[in-house]
Amino acid sequence: MVQEKIRFQPFSGEPIRLVDEQGHWIASFEHGLPPEQLRRFYRDMLAARILDEKLVILIRTGKTSFIAPHAGHEGAQIGIAQALRRGHDWLFPYYRDMGLMLAMGLPLVEIFGQTLGNAADPAKGRQMPSHPGSKKLNVFTVCSAIASHIPPAAGAAISMKLRGSGQVTVCTFGDGATSEGDWHAGINFAAVQEAPAVFVCENNRYAISVNISKQTASENIAVKAHAYGIPGYHVDGLDVLASYFVMQEAIERARAGHGACLVELVVNRFGAHSSADDDSRYRSREELTAERQHDPLVRYQRFLEKQGLWDANWANELKLEISKELEAALQEALQAGEPNPLEMFDDVFAARPWHLEEQRQLVAEELR
Amino acid sequence: MPTMTMIQAINSALDEEMSRDERVMLLGEDVGKRGGVFLATEGLQQKYGPDRVMDSPLSEAAILGAAVGLAAHGMRPVAEIQFADYVFPGIDQLFSQAAKLRYRSGGQFTAPMVVRMPTGGGVKGGHHHSQSPEAHFAHTGGLKVVVVSTPYDTKGLLKAAIRNDDPVVFMEPKRLYRAVKEEVPSDDFLIPIGKAAIRREGNDITLVSYGGPMIETLKAAGEMVGAGVDPEVIDLRTVMPWDKEAVLGSVAKTGRLLMISEAPRMASIASEVTATVSEELFDQLLAPPLRVTGFDTPYPLAQDKLYMPTVTRILNAAKRVLDY
Repeated sequence: MVQEKIRFQPFSGEPIRLVDEQGHWIASFEHGLPPEQLRRFYRDMLAARILDEKLVILIRTGKTSFIAPHAGHEGAQIGIAQALRRGHDWLFPYYRDMGLMLAMGLPLVEIFGQTLGNAADPAKGRQMPSHPGSKKLNVFTVCSAIASHIPPAAGAAISMKLRGSGQVTVCTFGDGATSEGDWHAGINFAAVQEAPAVFVCENNRYAISVNISKQTASENIAVKAHAYGIPGYHVDGLDVLASYFVMQEAIERARAGHGACLVELVVNRFGAHSSADDDSRYRSREELTAERQHDPLVRYQRFLEKQGLWDANWANELKLEISKELEAALQEALQAGEPNPLEMFDDVFAARPWHLEEQRQLVAEELR
Repeated sequence: MPTMTMIQAINSALDEEMSRDERVMLLGEDVGKRGGVFLATEGLQQKYGPDRVMDSPLSEAAILGAAVGLAAHGMRPVAEIQFADYVFPGIDQLFSQAAKLRYRSGGQFTAPMVVRMPTGGGVKGGHHHSQSPEAHFAHTGGLKVVVVSTPYDTKGLLKAAIRNDDPVVFMEPKRLYRAVKEEVPSDDFLIPIGKAAIRREGNDITLVSYGGPMIETLKAAGEMVGAGVDPEVIDLRTVMPWDKEAVLGSVAKTGRLLMISEAPRMASIASEVTATVSEELFDQLLAPPLRVTGFDTPYPLAQDKLYMPTVTRILNAAKRVLDY
């Protein structure tokens, strides 16, 4: 796509917002999106929300060991997925991106396989849940180590530039990641090389329990871009259309050879940090209740209603359809069974050296 | 056949691999215009341009992390860490990303990259220009570790490392960069990773070493020959995975092992090799395997030479093994 005009200015004081709380389109330009695409955004957001609820059930029923809830991030995540060229551009996600994975088109059975850590996981059950990846879709496998994927994202973007591949790297992370040294190292290198990388902070204002006020003295995350000589966009990430349009401009700007940038999508975290966390220890229920009043899904529903694109029947049917689809995929994943235990010794290297062969033999004999 | 120092062999290997495969690129601090602080990459930026010989910001995390992304996306990056002692700010990139990428993705993504680094003591470098951190890398599943000792091996192993599909830490004892010249073929040749070299055949005792102390080990072997002892000398060349077959084969013959390394003793490659020999050849050993190693102190400046295995220390330990 050739970039027609610049719509967004970096370093805006107020977050960039295109749809207000009541669902009014408040931008100075026409969105120009066809009804089917507008409805697709809703479908993906709804699917992400239902997936989140389903993952919570899997935890409560003891079928999985860990989840990082993404409810409240749907607007940001669906905006990102819709803005990049899926299967062409590369995505370097973090662990609270299961909604984004779904919108990227990762097969549902793989998503549940990864969550269950069983043979339906293309990564062979090697990592904790919420750590998927897909070579086929250019989704770099999630690594737990916070911000450790930022320098690799910079490297991939540098490779794209050197090889003239016409691709863009999109790299997501939470607000806590911005305090890590590797965050600085990666963004700085990408900026120096003018590499096509879009770094995206899904800022939910909490790194587990630590509030953003204890994370940074900066007025927001986007302003940090200034120090690297790249644009920083401060965006209302509860607004899926703002997330989409800013991401699209950022991505196409990078693709056109104008280098890296930073996008901050301010979101809410409706759940705890993870299934291993109790957020009532550090976040008042009043605060959470107030946050829940700002639901990206509800705001977008209001917008669609005003466009004559939403009614309760359609939404209920959609909900039913998505729920069925997810349930079918979950059941299929549940049938996959445990991975072969001896696969534990595969993929350390391209071929097994003698010491891993010996260790594999030991386990093989134990299991015989 | 041309003669080369180790540093020339590195330059020659990089040059040949870059001209053979346009995916091969170099990145690191001062590798471009300056040609590296030891001049390993001298002239290569002029030849291949600033994109393929890339001066990076002063950040080991950026160098190693970017190498992971470059490799995952299809390049064959050769990263230079200016001194092995400075790899630590980038260690999360090596340990959490490079080493585990193939594993954590179930073989979907890989990081075929080489990380070159000058290593070891003997140049009056104090704590932070003298260490031998190979055990850290060997202890992390997913990394291969090469430590070279001759110009010939350096060229063949570096070329093999660049073509290897796994991340390879390639350690170059800096005190050997210009210590010796030897004949190195100017045509294409590879030395397999994981294969040791038998530097001298003998029957009385097996001396195993690698990297910098190969010099002292060979000197000690020479003195032993003068004293009527017939030592076998093995250069591991690769310490992860090390060549167990070669070492066990030799010790099965001699019944005696002395392992020499300048890295600290605790939890070291030397400990691993001697423990394995004890486990597997217990009833064939004529003496307990001994180790001569660096010490478990930070690397000292004033005692630079004393820290490393000396010929005397090697001979004394060999005598204990032989006289047991």
